[in-house]
Amino acid sequence: MKCYYCALEGKDSEAVAICIVCGMGLCMEHAIRKDVDVWEGGYPLPSKRVKTPLPRILCPACYNSLYGK
Amino acid sequence: MTTSLGKRCVAEAVGTFILVFFGAGAAIVTLMLAAGTTPATSFNIGIGALGGLGDWLAIGLAFGIAIAGSIYAFGRISGCHINPAVTIALFATRRLPGRDVVPYIAAQLVGAAAASLLFAWAVGPDAVAIGGLGATTPFPGIGYLQAIVIEAVGTFLLMLVIMGAAVDERATPGFAGLVVGLAVAGIITTIGNLTGASLNPARTFGPFLGDWLLAGQNLWEFFPVYIIGPIVGAVLAAFLYDYLCCE
Repeated sequence: MKCYYCALEGKDSEAVAICIVCGMGLCMEHAIRKDVDVWEGGYPLPSKRVKTPLPRILCPACYNSLYGK
Repeated sequence: MTTSLGKRCVAEAVGTFILVFFGAGAAIVTLMLAAGTTPATSFNIGIGALGGLGDWLAIGLAFGIAIAGSIYAFGRISGCHINPAVTIALFATRRLPGRDVVPYIAAQLVGAAAASLLFAWAVGPDAVAIGGLGATTPFPGIGYLQAIVIEAVGTFLLMLVIMGAAVDERATPGFAGLVVGLAVAGIITTIGNLTGASLNPARTFGPFLGDWLLAGQNLWEFFPVYIIGPIVGAVLAAFLYDYLCCE
């Protein structure tokens, strides 16, 4: 799979990741890693945040849609 | 990583404050509304004079909705026990570390006391003189031991619901607060006119302290009923549930 963003720019880069939202192939330059905290437990015991967050890869467009202002 | 013990204690205090302010507050307001009416029987101390068992259902729902709201607000932070009996039952079944038990219970007692004192200040002397700050005592004809057993059975059901709807990993997520609140409302409707349906040593502590400090009745002789009954009931329920669920 090739990087969609690089293809738009006329470059030919191998994809190293896939956006979890839209499925777009992404090279290292265009992949955005947005880790998500994972919480376990809850009522009637306090929730605990697990030490290792969940890795989540997004493309620039989806990142902006979800987190952009 | 969990929220710090200090923040969890604040959550417990605020949750218990909400429980006592709205729950015991509903009992106070009901007694104030019924003031001056002639009870049909000596078994009626005022709650029930207006709508019979409906009075208790209304008080039960006030407790239940306050509890459900607190659970959804603070359940993830402290566990929202807002009840020393629940805290002790979770400790007894090794779900809560021992170092958390005393701070949790202290926070619950502080929250309950603050709620009773603030309610008395906000409503005025009638909240103490007529409403008794919603204090729980065994009703006419209910003996000391009988009251302990009734409180134990009531809290037994409450803790069973908590175990089944929240502690059990197979429980449907998201419903625990609603179900626990409704269970409390149902329990109060049935045993409210027998013991006051405390189910919770902190819920009784707040009004007892408020009455004692504000020249109301001295009811401390009944406090053991609302310590022993709820704790025994909650611990038995937690152990029974674990026994029934073990392979």
